Amino acid sequence: MIVVIKPGFLDMVMDWGRPGFRVQGVPEGGAADLPSLVHANRLVGNPDHAAGLEMTLRGPVLRFPDGAKVAFAGADMGVQGDGVPLAPACLHVLAPGATLHVGVARSGMRAYLAVAGGIDVPVILGSRSTFLPGGWGGWQGRALKTGDQLPVGAEAGQAWDRLPGRSSRSSSVLRVVAGPQMGGFSDVALTSFLQKSFVVQSDSNRVGIRLFGPVLEYAKGELASQAVLPGAVQVPPGGQPIILGWDGPVTGGYPVIAGVITADLPNLAQLKPGDAVRFQAVSLEHAQSAWQQESTWLA
Amino acid sequence: MEQRQIIENGVSRETFAWRWVTDRGVRIAAGLATLPLYRMLNAAALPGVAELVPADGSLLVVLKAGATIPTRLRDLLSSHPYDIALADARSHHDINVIFDGMDLPLVAERLGWPRSSLVEGLCAISFVVKFLGFQPGFAYLQGLPVAWHLPRQATPRKAVPAGSVAIGGAYCGIYPAAGPGGWHLIGRTETQLFNPLFSPPARFQPGDTVRLIAT
Repeated sequence: MIVVIKPGFLDMVMDWGRPGFRVQGVPEGGAADLPSLVHANRLVGNPDHAAGLEMTLRGPVLRFPDGAKVAFAGADMGVQGDGVPLAPACLHVLAPGATLHVGVARSGMRAYLAVAGGIDVPVILGSRSTFLPGGWGGWQGRALKTGDQLPVGAEAGQAWDRLPGRSSRSSSVLRVVAGPQMGGFSDVALTSFLQKSFVVQSDSNRVGIRLFGPVLEYAKGELASQAVLPGAVQVPPGGQPIILGWDGPVTGGYPVIAGVITADLPNLAQLKPGDAVRFQAVSLEHAQSAWQQESTWLA
Repeated sequence: MEQRQIIENGVSRETFAWRWVTDRGVRIAAGLATLPLYRMLNAAALPGVAELVPADGSLLVVLKAGATIPTRLRDLLSSHPYDIALADARSHHDINVIFDGMDLPLVAERLGWPRSSLVEGLCAISFVVKFLGFQPGFAYLQGLPVAWHLPRQATPRKAVPAGSVAIGGAYCGIYPAAGPGGWHLIGRTETQLFNPLFSPPARFQPGDTVRLIAT
């Protein structure tokens, strides 16, 4: 069991997400930086798809009455166990009654905590992930609060002291492929999009990462709703792009200028408000080989 | 048979525009053939295809990790071995609606119809579920006469209550959960439209028909 002594800014139970329900209007969701959750899961001997905690910007204070094997990866939040600094990407064995203090993100945006046995919340539509916009999934469909007591499953697999993680790249450059409505943007807009930098706005969340930068003008008129995917860069009438996130709607009516490649979605997950970001155009072949590499590591 | 002809033409490879949506999905501009194509590809269960998502005149084929466009998908699209009769074998839903939406007087005024006639007209329509999106269980119901297509509100409302019945553009829709919304609110229903514990979780499925019943 994990007891929440003090919640962080936004702590939510996440796993791989729930693919297969887009036709019902349900986005895939799941850990934004999936490789980091998987890395932490592997360290504690969990299956890759086990549910852990996604912690955003500032982490919680948690108590483990029964002790636990834990590991964390992703953003560096300066974690302490009973006052002792704990290194990221390592296995830590907590004694019964231990307290974990997760601090503020010093780099990146989201950190992942895995506990041996996984967080054992009910499976809804094939996943334990929290779907915050709908208020269901995860732990009671919401972020953690003081006094919550999260059940932990039975330990299953072999834990490891250290394991290689996915090699990380700078998150300030996101690789993109052309979007379905790219042709409707002026040359000026396309040039700005690929050459200027954009700043992540504070109203960004798992539904959409809102950017501020040069106005991108779309020359054509209203668009019929189309199905979209996380990473799609939508441009609403105001001309300021929004990158659709993991909990974003499955259809959208705004033109999509480009798509962040799947292999760079974990980097997108680590961008925080105020960060500058640029887009780099790559070919579809490049994108798919990067995705192939990523999925080989994940497999 | 005229419709069949149109759809068959629509399915020929030459008339479909393909566009990538990120590196993970292909958007096929299938027009009128969107739903039949969705059904056909769904039944074909192609390897490499993770999900199929119909939308307004287009179908998104979401690929599995590392997959490229399956050759069989190209084959299926260039031939047209699907049966449009499949499109008829769907459920019908009667939904009780209280027509007291806060935008109803304005909608009636803008359309130039007395409120009672407008409600009568809405209840006479056999809506077809074209696709779901926007929020879980939110169905885009097609069937409004063209003269009733109103542009969405310039500034969306921050909070529309769950169960609100609304019209926007070419569509009628019912908000399964509370949230922001830019459509014109004409009524409300107590019918639950989405429950993640049900299978399938959404009450309305693509191709279903829906009638609004004034109560």
